[in-house]
Amino acid sequence: MTVTFQLNGEDCSFHGDPMTPLVDILRRERFLTGTKAVCREGFCGACTVHVDDEAVPSCLKPIGLVQGCAVTTIEGLSSGNQALHPLQANFEAADAVQCGMCFPGMVMSLSAFVRDNPHASRPEIKAAMVGNICRCTGYERIVDAVADCLDQARKAGQSVGGIHV
Amino acid sequence: MSELSATVMNLPRRDAQDKLRGRTKYTNDRVRPDMLHAVLLRSPVPAGHIRKLDVSAALRCPGVRAVATGADAPGLYGIGIADHPLLAIDTIRYHGEPIAVVAAETEKQARAALAVIVLEVEPLAPVSTMAEALQPAARLVHEGWRGYEVITEGGARAGNIAWEAKSSRGDVDAAFARPDIRIVESSFTVGRQSHVPFEPRVAIGSWEDGRAHIQTSTQVPWTVRNVTGRVMQLAPGRVRVTVPPVGGGFGLKFDASIEPITALLARMTGRTVVLENTRQEEMATCLCRENAEIRIRSAVTAEGYIAGREAVVLMDCGAYGGEQVFLTTMTAHTLAGNYRVGATRLVSRAVYTNTPPNGAFRACNGVYNTFALERHTDEICDALGLDPMEFRKKNVLGDGDLGATGQVFEADVLVPMLDRMEALRASTGTSEAKADGRLYGIATTVGTWFVFVGPSTATVNLNADGSATLVTSGVEIGSGTMVQSLPQIVAGQLGLAPDQVIVREADTDAAGLDVGVGGGRTTVSIGAASLAACAEVREKLLRTAGEMLQTRPEDLVLRDGRVEITGRPGSGMSIPAVVAHAQATTGPITGSGAFTARNTPAMSGCAMGHFIDALDIPVFVVHEAEVAVDPDTGHVEVLAYRVVQDVGRALNPRAILGQIQGGVVQGLGYALHEEVTLTADGRIAQDDFETYRLPLAQDVIPVAADLYEGAPSMGPLGTKGAGEVPILAVGAAIGCAVARAIGKPVRQLPLTPPRVLRLLHEREPPPEFPHIAPGWASNTLG
Repeated sequence: MTVTFQLNGEDCSFHGDPMTPLVDILRRERFLTGTKAVCREGFCGACTVHVDDEAVPSCLKPIGLVQGCAVTTIEGLSSGNQALHPLQANFEAADAVQCGMCFPGMVMSLSAFVRDNPHASRPEIKAAMVGNICRCTGYERIVDAVADCLDQARKAGQSVGGIHV
Repeated sequence: MSELSATVMNLPRRDAQDKLRGRTKYTNDRVRPDMLHAVLLRSPVPAGHIRKLDVSAALRCPGVRAVATGADAPGLYGIGIADHPLLAIDTIRYHGEPIAVVAAETEKQARAALAVIVLEVEPLAPVSTMAEALQPAARLVHEGWRGYEVITEGGARAGNIAWEAKSSRGDVDAAFARPDIRIVESSFTVGRQSHVPFEPRVAIGSWEDGRAHIQTSTQVPWTVRNVTGRVMQLAPGRVRVTVPPVGGGFGLKFDASIEPITALLARMTGRTVVLENTRQEEMATCLCRENAEIRIRSAVTAEGYIAGREAVVLMDCGAYGGEQVFLTTMTAHTLAGNYRVGATRLVSRAVYTNTPPNGAFRACNGVYNTFALERHTDEICDALGLDPMEFRKKNVLGDGDLGATGQVFEADVLVPMLDRMEALRASTGTSEAKADGRLYGIATTVGTWFVFVGPSTATVNLNADGSATLVTSGVEIGSGTMVQSLPQIVAGQLGLAPDQVIVREADTDAAGLDVGVGGGRTTVSIGAASLAACAEVREKLLRTAGEMLQTRPEDLVLRDGRVEITGRPGSGMSIPAVVAHAQATTGPITGSGAFTARNTPAMSGCAMGHFIDALDIPVFVVHEAEVAVDPDTGHVEVLAYRVVQDVGRALNPRAILGQIQGGVVQGLGYALHEEVTLTADGRIAQDDFETYRLPLAQDVIPVAADLYEGAPSMGPLGTKGAGEVPILAVGAAIGCAVARAIGKPVRQLPLTPPRVLRLLHEREPPPEFPHIAPGWASNTLG
C-alpha cells in the first residue's frame, strides 16, 4: 500500500505495510531520530509528534492512518538555525535537561498543550504531562519552565509558539 | 583561593540545545542501513542443561551472515569472580539468559532465523529465592564454583554464597551480655528496582584493522574493553570502546553485558553489527537494584547509648555474581557509618539464585540498608521511649568516631546537618494541614554514602586559539559532569571561560584508564586528574610567559584568557600569544594528570572480604519527609520533602539541585510504587511501562534542599560527588514517616496502597527469615 503525507512541510510517500508504526518510518527510513522509540506502548511519550497539529505518540500511529495528514517532528518544530521554540528556550534556560531522551517528546506534547491552554495552572500542566515520562529530572523544573513560558507569553500578549505551529 | 571564584557558577549545559532539538545522536540513533542487525535467542526456562543446540538451519536462512553461541566466546567475566559467560555454555541459569545470537541484514530476517534454531533443554528445578539457595541441600546454581578464576582475593565463598564480606570491631558478645541494655531486633525485606533508562543497552560493533571497535551506551568504557577482551580471549588492547551521549544509566550501565557480542559478530562477518535490547528484553534482564533481606540487632542502654550492634544482610545477586560481589563491601559503611556504636559485627552475603542477575543502581546497597537502619533506629526509640530526633543528634557519628571497620571519621558533619534541617524546616514550614483528615507522619533520617574514587586520567592540550582540549574516558550520562563541572574546573585553573574548554567524549584509544562514571566519582576523580593535568599546563605556560615577559613565573597569574603580572590587571599578554611562542620554541603545551584512591586505613583485622576497607570520601545526607496516608485506600501522598546534603564544595549549585530533585523522585518510586516481582518460573513480571509504575509528574513535589559545604574531602577544590547520593535516604524517610502516620512498623518497601492497607489492618505478615540463624556467627563461613 502507498501512503502519502506531509512530513515537516514536504510531500512524502511510503510503500509497504500500512500497519507499520509511524515511529519506525521516521527513525528507520527518514533518519529523523529526534523522535525516540522508548516504550513503544504509548506510555512514555518520547515518540510524540504532531499529526495535523495534534500531539500523538507515533508508536501507536499506524502509517496507514496518516494518509493525507501533516506530520511534524521535533526536527520540524524549529529547524536549521531557526530560533528555539519558546518552550525549548525555557527548558534550556532552566537547566532542565539531563540525559535528554524524553525531551523531544516532552517538547512536542507540551508545545501543543501551551498553544491550546494559554492560561493553564501548574496542576493542569502536570496533568497534561501524564503521558510523558522523565526518568532523570523529577519533573519540577520542566513544570516550572512551562509555567514561565506561559507567563512570558501572557505578558507579551501572544500565544506560545503560535508562529511555529 | 582565586581560581575558586572563577570555577563556581551555574554554568548551563552545552548539550541542552541539541538534546532539545532532537539532534543528539545517542548510540541507538546511529543505526545505518548498511549495518547487520543482531537478535538474541534467550532461555525460555530459569534453569537447565542444554542438551542440543543446532544452529545450522538458521545459518541457511535468507539474509543471515553469522550465528554465534557460547563456544565462540568461551571466556568468563565478572567482578571479583569470573563466573559469567557471554552466551550460556551448557548450563542455563536464568530465564532470558542469552544462548545464541543471529546477525542478519534486517532485524526481521534475524528473528526469522532465531525461530529455526533447535534448542533442547533439560529443565532443572530452579533455585528461586535466597531462602532456597541457603538450604543445606540446595542445588548449586554454579556446580563448578570452586574452579572459577578469582579476580579479587579475600572474600569467603561456598556453594550458593557467591561472596561474603564481614566486619567486626570490639566485643559484641560482651555488649549484648551487659545487664544495663535492652536488645532491639528488626527484620526488613525489599524488592528489586528497575532502572528504566530511556536508552536501553545497545552497542554497535565493527572490526577495524584487526581490532574490535564498540560504540556503546555505557558508563564504563574500560570495563567493556576488558570484558570483551576476556570473553573473546583477545588482549584487551585489541578492543576500542567509544561512547556517544548516553540516554540514562543510573548504574545499569556500570557493567558490561551485551556489548562484546557485537564485537564477536563483527569479527565473524567483517560487517558493522548493531544489537539493541527491546524494551521487554531490557526490563526482563535488567541488572536491577537487588532484592535484599536484613536483620539488625542492637544492644542499647536506657540513656540511648548503642553498646553493640550486629546485622546479617542477604543480597540476591541472581544467576551471576556481578556487582553484588563488590557491593557486599558497602554494608559495613552503610549500616555502621552513621551512628556511634560500641562494638559491631556485620556480615553481608551475595547469594546465587536462578533469577536474572542484579547489578548496580544509584547508591546501590545503601538505599535499603539506610531504610533498614533508620526504621530500626525508630524502633529503638519506640522501645526505649526516646525522642527520635534527640536520639539521632546524640548518636550520629562525629569527629574521631569509628566506623565498622575501625575507620576514624573526621569532623562533625551530621550534627550540624541535622541543625540545618531544623532551620530549613523553619523556613519552609510544615504541611500537616494538607493532610486534611488523613493520617499524617513526619520523619527525619540520616544516611552515609561515599565517593567511589579509584583511577582516572586526564590530558589537557592548550591550543593556539586559547582553547583547551580535555581528554578523559568520562561519559555524559545526563548528570552534567562532562558539560558542567569538568569544563568549569579546567577553565578555573587556566583562566579561561568554560566554553573555551573542549571536552572529548570517551574513547579508550585516546584517554587512559578510568573506572567509569558512577559512584559519584566523576567530578572528584576525573576532576582531580584534570586538576593535575592543568597544573602541568600552567607550569609550562607560566614558564614560557616568564621568559617572554622577563618576569618570574611565580609573579604571574592566569586570568580572563591572559597571563598577567600579579596585581596588574591587563598587563602581560594573551594566552594564544604564549602558546604560539611555546609551539615555536619548546613545543605545544600539554599536561597529563592521574588520580586514584588514597586507601584510607581500616583497623587491622576488622574488615574481611572487602573491596574497600574504609571510605576515602564519606558523603552524608539528612532527609525529611511529610506524608499523608489515606486510611480507606492505603495511598501515600508525599506532602513535603526536604534535603540537607553534604556536597563538600558546590561547583554548580543549580546542577546539584537538579540532581537532588531527580534522585529524590527515583527514591520516591522505590519507596512507594516501583515494584519488581518474580513469577513462579523466575521471570521478572514487570517487563514494560504498563506493569512497572514509574513516577509521573503528578506524583512528585518540589524538593526543598540546602547544600552543606565545608566537610573535609580529598576531592578537587573540596568537592564530593553530588549526583548519586540524593536517592540514598528516600526509602528511609518515607518508611519512617509512613510508620509514624499509621502507627505500625514498616518493614518492607515499596509501600504500595495494598501493602499499606494490610499494615493498617495488621494483615501484613512481618518478614521472617528461617534461613538466617539466630546466632550471628552461624551466618558466616567462619
